[in-house]
Amino acid sequence: MTLDDYRLDMMGCSRCSMCKWVPLNQVKSWRYARSCPSISKYNFHAYSGSGKMNVALSLLDGRIELDETVADIAYKCTLCGACDVSCKVYRDDIELCEVIEELRELCVTEGLLIPEHMIMIDSMKKEDNVFGEPKSERGNWAEGLGLKDVNSESADVLFHAGCRFSYDEDLRGKVRGSVRLLLDAGADIGIAGKEESCCGGRAYEVGYRGEMDNYADDVVARVKASGATVLVTPCSDCYSTFKYFYPRAGHELGVEVLHITEYIDRLVKDRRIALSHDVPLHVTYHDPCHLGRRGEPYLGKWEGDKLLRPLSRKRAGRNGIFDQPRDILKAIPGLKLSEMERVREYSWCCGAGGGVLEAHPDLALWSATERIREAGATGAEAIVTACPWCERSFIDAISEMGEEMAVYDLTELVTMSAGIGGE
Amino acid sequence: MMTDDVYREMESVVGEENISREPAILDSYAFQPFHRAEPGSWIHRPAAVVLPGSTGEVQQIVKICHRNKVSYKAHSTGWGAHSGPGKEGVIQIDLRRMDRILEIDEENMYVVVEPYAICAQVQAELMKRGLNLHIIGAGSSTSPLAACTSHMGMGFTGVSMGYSGRSVLGVEWVLPDGELLRLGSLGSGSGWFCGDGPGPSLRGIMRGWAGYDGGLGVFTGVAIKTFHWPGPREPEVEGLLFDTKTEVPDNFKVFLCYFPDYERWADAYYRIGEAEIAYIMSKNPIGAMIWAFTPHLMRKITDMPAIKTALKAAQHGCHVMIAANSPGDLDYQVKTLKRIIEETEGVLIDVKPPFESMLWWSGVRVSAVQAIFRPGGTFFVGLGGDEAVDNTMLQAKFGEKIKQDFIDRGLIYDDLADVMWGGLYEQGLFNHQEEIMIFNARDPRQAKAPEEFAKACARTAVEEHLGGIGFALFGGEKMHDLFSPVTSDYYKWEKKIKETWDPDDLSNQTFR
Amino acid sequence: MASESNAVGIQELIGIVGKDRVSTDRELLLKYGRGGGLVPDGEPVCVVYPRDSEDIQRIVKLANAVGLNLVPRSSSIPGALGGAVPSGEGVIVDLSEMREIIRLDRRNKVALIEPGVTFGQLQAAAAAEGLKVLMPLIPGASGSVLASYLEREPITIPKYHWDMTDPLLCIEVIFGTGDMFRTGGAAGPGTLEEQWASGAAQKNPMGPAHTDFAKLVQGGQGTMGIVTWASVKLELLPRARRLFFIQAEDLGELQGFIYKALRLRLGDEFLVLNNFSLASILRENRERIGAMTRKQSTWTLVFCVAGYEYFPQERIAFQENDIREITRAFGLEMKEEIPGASAETMMRLLDNTAGGTHWKSRYSGGCRDIFFLTTLDRVAAFIEVMNKSLVTADYPMEEMGIYIQPIQHGRACHLEFNLPYDPDDINETEKVNNLLLRASEELLEAGAFFSRPYGPWARMAYARCPDSVEALKKVKGIVDPGGVMNRGKLCFTEEVRT
Ligand SMILES: Cc1cc2nc3c(=O)[nH]c(=O)nc-3n(C[C@H](O)[C@H](O)[C@H](O)COP(=O)(O)OP(=O)(O)OC[C@H]3O[C@@H](n4cnc5c(N)ncnc54)[C@H](O)[C@@H]3O)c2cc1C
Repeated sequence: MTLDDYRLDMMGCSRCSMCKWVPLNQVKSWRYARSCPSISKYNFHAYSGSGKMNVALSLLDGRIELDETVADIAYKCTLCGACDVSCKVYRDDIELCEVIEELRELCVTEGLLIPEHMIMIDSMKKEDNVFGEPKSERGNWAEGLGLKDVNSESADVLFHAGCRFSYDEDLRGKVRGSVRLLLDAGADIGIAGKEESCCGGRAYEVGYRGEMDNYADDVVARVKASGATVLVTPCSDCYSTFKYFYPRAGHELGVEVLHITEYIDRLVKDRRIALSHDVPLHVTYHDPCHLGRRGEPYLGKWEGDKLLRPLSRKRAGRNGIFDQPRDILKAIPGLKLSEMERVREYSWCCGAGGGVLEAHPDLALWSATERIREAGATGAEAIVTACPWCERSFIDAISEMGEEMAVYDLTELVTMSAGIGGE
Repeated sequence: MMTDDVYREMESVVGEENISREPAILDSYAFQPFHRAEPGSWIHRPAAVVLPGSTGEVQQIVKICHRNKVSYKAHSTGWGAHSGPGKEGVIQIDLRRMDRILEIDEENMYVVVEPYAICAQVQAELMKRGLNLHIIGAGSSTSPLAACTSHMGMGFTGVSMGYSGRSVLGVEWVLPDGELLRLGSLGSGSGWFCGDGPGPSLRGIMRGWAGYDGGLGVFTGVAIKTFHWPGPREPEVEGLLFDTKTEVPDNFKVFLCYFPDYERWADAYYRIGEAEIAYIMSKNPIGAMIWAFTPHLMRKITDMPAIKTALKAAQHGCHVMIAANSPGDLDYQVKTLKRIIEETEGVLIDVKPPFESMLWWSGVRVSAVQAIFRPGGTFFVGLGGDEAVDNTMLQAKFGEKIKQDFIDRGLIYDDLADVMWGGLYEQGLFNHQEEIMIFNARDPRQAKAPEEFAKACARTAVEEHLGGIGFALFGGEKMHDLFSPVTSDYYKWEKKIKETWDPDDLSNQTFR
Repeated sequence: MASESNAVGIQELIGIVGKDRVSTDRELLLKYGRGGGLVPDGEPVCVVYPRDSEDIQRIVKLANAVGLNLVPRSSSIPGALGGAVPSGEGVIVDLSEMREIIRLDRRNKVALIEPGVTFGQLQAAAAAEGLKVLMPLIPGASGSVLASYLEREPITIPKYHWDMTDPLLCIEVIFGTGDMFRTGGAAGPGTLEEQWASGAAQKNPMGPAHTDFAKLVQGGQGTMGIVTWASVKLELLPRARRLFFIQAEDLGELQGFIYKALRLRLGDEFLVLNNFSLASILRENRERIGAMTRKQSTWTLVFCVAGYEYFPQERIAFQENDIREITRAFGLEMKEEIPGASAETMMRLLDNTAGGTHWKSRYSGGCRDIFFLTTLDRVAAFIEVMNKSLVTADYPMEEMGIYIQPIQHGRACHLEFNLPYDPDDINETEKVNNLLLRASEELLEAGAFFSRPYGPWARMAYARCPDSVEALKKVKGIVDPGGVMNRGKLCFTEEVRT
């Protein structure tokens, strides 16, 4: 597909501005009615979902040149998909996020590159991860856990930690805990250790599609070789890459892909994890975009007029993972869950996605700050989520804000309630 | 003229992050495909876009424009071609940074808003205090300030809350030369509660049935009438639209009413108005509704003449929501409505769950109409002069004929030629009916339909005396030439107003 | 107008309307010119009685040609407010003889009336069709409906008061330029007859198009043009109705109730009177008014509940019930009888025009009114300001009437102080005039909004809103560039020419 394939989508925009707001049915206050970090921070219409389509159409129509402003518009966006959800409440014929993705791809192919993204892509090329950390250290996080190495032995469950959990020291305890939890439940888990590579999703999001293809091939091959029947990841970014970007780009993993919350939810419901210890916390849950609306599986390609596309093929964000994390939280004794105003498919983004954390950290921080305020407004003492990128964003924002709020990965609370002691 | 110096001067007012003349950014303001008769998506590209953050900044910007003879055009959310530049060289003033609710006076029942506080936000905050406001049919993503000061003002709650243009109290208005005019009690330092006087009401210059659409300065604040909300203060609603799930409170009822013909339909309208019942009353066009809710089904139905005929039989109808303040009130309203339907030989459908949830909340929040974009991507409107019920019924009859012709020629979607949307205002003071047609602007054949449709509707309105100019108002000079000579020469007077307040025609009215 | 051109003007006027429709009778002119102490006496040069719009249009054109000052008035009896007293010389355009009810439409609940149509007249005609005229509090029988509505006099039923223009809908006006203009739905397309034939009834009060000239003419004290007819909103004559009183010593006790009831749009007629005003309405002379005042609680809220075409008794029953619940919540009591008045008596009074001496003048022969708009929560503070002025002026507090009329569904209220005085007593007249001026200044200072600035209020009110003044002068420049319409009124103190 190219941008040109989306001409009708772009022409179809009525400029209603729904893309700037949570779906109207769900506006609950003045304060938390907005949905899009980008337009909320930069204010010019061009930075909204609609605006990005207008700019892209203008490019196609030859009205403007592809320049740094266009790139700025295209990349000051977390690709969180909130605009897409709100748009699709009323529209069947517009794929807003896909337009933004095409616009970015055009930027890359036309050489309008963002230096920070070039560095990231370079790192990926060299070290197979987005941070440029040594590939050899990728599996270090799992030291001493006694996990199978799928490079040499087979396992039922291939655990894909992802770049962030593999390298972010601050989050290490969280990922280790989650694996111990699964082991405790009797899961047969293997990892690829230093051979695990980036999923490539971030590359795809920032417009380097070919890069993702390389990783996808790699991941597919490793999954096959591992003999696993399930791929479990604690990273929401990786999850949506596997569920959505891979099949969209023609890569089939051939195994069931589960986010760890889905997997834990099953284990809890199958009574393989007993949530028996009180966790006396008042928390609120943040839906990671990539687990929620952007985690919705790929529904196949539709050629031609989208007005004629069956609704079963319309990906509107509502089939992401929303209930499982909540079911788990509700099953934890002593825990109080208060919802924020913006939840589920109309959740507010943590700010980390779409290459923003790398290229526009101020936007990332601002977006996370906004979310922490919203979390604080519920009265909760902690924000729980299910994505290491969100966690990183929130930890940084809280420290910047000088707030007290705690940040938990959902698995940590499960670990506590299951009575699996810390290390 | 817009020069570098002028740009820099404006930049010093709003800061560099709030002004731009980058072509890409400007083009996002030049894309305005809605509310225009001529085909295409682009309007004139503004010379710059400015985002003022306060009334003071708006004044300074307008004064700079005035001094330098630069045209400007303000919008709130900017939904439609009427919100953007109508010519080259215009500065777009995007008011989105002025987004506050300045005051909610619970006892005296008004809310004061800036341009970019949207209806949904204002409603959510009002409901927490047991109040609600009239929201235009376009939905709660729109600016209540724009509806009250600058554009039109029809909406579902017209029957109980009236028309936006008549809900205006105090107004803060930056005139075309940048000077501030505060209407009514506000201007006399007495607060926001009244928009009229001393003496003649300058609201008469501000707007009539419609507003000047940005053609007479910039409105920066308005006090709007609010009304009692007998529903939950923080409604718990699940779902985004068609999947809405909520507990409809016991004191609300949602009905669909259908009548055998235009005459009895009109009778029912008169009686409902007189009985002073109903919270929401809206003509629910059957064809458009099916198109909007289930476009794929409707696509099939259009090939089934028998089903079409059956559906069309339900074209004389409306959707009535009752909201009661007490059990006695509820009984009285329901009983009265039933009696009226009986007398007019209508059919009353008491809407039950789960459909009730959706009709209730989308009615209150005004969140379903926008689905009219679903079937073809857009729509266009003709007729719509508000008048006595009988006159608007005549509009509907003519509208039906005009539209059928367009459907037969394949120029627009087949919506059974039944898309007069409308409803009563102020418990029957007048009725609004507009002829909506659905089309696909991306289909080159259909793209041209609005122009011809607009002309046909306008001609009929003039020849048959159908309640005034209505939507032809957005047809520009040609339409004024058609209507003005037979409508008290209004355009001559409007030109004088414009010349008086804006002699250099700087405050840009897109369709003049 | 120099006397020479006066003479020319009068001759031309006679040419337009005929000899017997122009009067230069001195006594009559004196009556028309009486300013009553608050505004200087005017000098009417003649009175002209036009027959129709065409006459009026010719008169206005003549005024422009020879420089006449036209002072339109709809009721033949001079009002107390000075709006129709010429500032200096002027030709009185007396419209009281244009008194046709052009159309009365039951289905659309609307009447099309000429300026001379009186409340009594319209009421009778409307009642015959089962309709009701929306009235201010006990208007004079010969008071012009149109003049009252054009002056935004408050009506007693706040639930029918949606916007400040109500109950006025569309007007035909001859602007100061001599151009005829129709507003709202009446503007066209189509003549009135053509509109009627297509089911229209001049019911849309807005526009046409982007402007609302009716709003500019209303409240204009005849400075913008002459209204030749208007469509006015009528309501259903209730099939059944009950009236209740709620009395309280302190206004604060009523405030919460009023807010709540009006918010729920309960009640039809709905107003508050202090004991003196109530007594003045109920009794006919000084002694009896005084005695009755002493028998009443300080404040009386009067309201009706009504039923119309459908289940009238049930409507009344539920409203009564709902209201009773609110009274309980506020510790108040609904009564059907108060000292000196039953519900029926009061209803009769509210439904009818004033016979004989106006109730405000019964106590002392004359009455000065101060009225303005505010919100209910501020009324008590204004009463305090007023009381202080009374003390300073040594005016007896117990002889001041107070009338509170909620408008716009209760969003604001008309607050009126009535100061009886003996017009034959020069000292008393001067005293009350001084009191009026001083108190008005103080009330304005405290935030009173004099939305209808007659006579001396114009200067005070407009001093507070220079931005409005400038805009109003521009309006005047458009519709009356020759300055022929009621010169010197409102903020048009210098001749406006463009
Ligand atoms: C599905 C649909 C249904 C609709 N139904 C209705 C309806 O029922 N009733 C109705 O009234 N309209 C209706 N409309 C029209 C709608 O009101 C306009 O599209 C409007 O532009 C919506 O956006 P807004 O209210 O935020 O105003 P904007 O688009 O921001 O502005 C509207 C106009 O007012 C001007 N303006 C806005 N703010 C200011 C300001 N502060 N100062 C000066 N000028 C200003 C703008 O220049 C523009 O011309 C409908 C539109 C759609 C798409």
